[in-house]
Amino acid sequence: MTDFKQLLHLLSASKIDFILVGGMAATVHGATRLTQDVDIVYSRAGTNLERLVAALAPYQPYLRGAPPGLPFRWDAETLERGLNFTLTTTLGDLDLLGEITGGGGYDDLVSRSSLIEVFGEACRCLDLPALIQGKRAAGRPRDLEALAELEALLEERRRLDSTDP
Amino acid sequence: MPDPDLPPPSDPVVELYKQGVDRTLLRQNLRRSVDERILNLMDLQKLAEELRRAGQRSRERRQ
Repeated sequence: MTDFKQLLHLLSASKIDFILVGGMAATVHGATRLTQDVDIVYSRAGTNLERLVAALAPYQPYLRGAPPGLPFRWDAETLERGLNFTLTTTLGDLDLLGEITGGGGYDDLVSRSSLIEVFGEACRCLDLPALIQGKRAAGRPRDLEALAELEALLEERRRLDSTDP
Repeated sequence: MPDPDLPPPSDPVVELYKQGVDRTLLRQNLRRSVDERILNLMDLQKLAEELRRAGQRSRERRQ
């Protein structure tokens, strides 16, 4: 099981530049669907990679689904050489994404995200319309139900905004 | 990239799926704070895990 609270707290408190995306971002916006992991788009800047490595190292990050004993080294060089990493950690599953389909990387997405406060820490979360666009761009049949919920959520939020005094 | 503030164009398949969305749950969630939404997700995850284990135990007993 993923400790969402601890993972988010760790990433934010470690001053890592990241944007919450995927199912967790949907939850933040009010979606009700169950998600199992935390997906983030992270800045590829060297100092940020170092911060990510230092923050996650105590939680034994390893490639999810990979057989044990692979020569996987958790360091900035490994992050530099790759882009997207689906990891298990002792806090739960974490997907580190260098970029997402239809959205690009951290620098492209910053303007389409907002700073929110989660458990007392500031954290960036992808805006709902951008989340919807990403799901559409991915074009995966399994996302249709989630996409429908996100669009319904956007309608509900707009309805609320329009009725707010 | 299209303007994010514009209403998304309607897709007939998604519109069909939208009919199955329980909007009362969405409205309930929108009244919660972000922290409450995440804590609620963690409770749901715990419940799903307990149900999965119960199902597994039940299958083992039948064998």
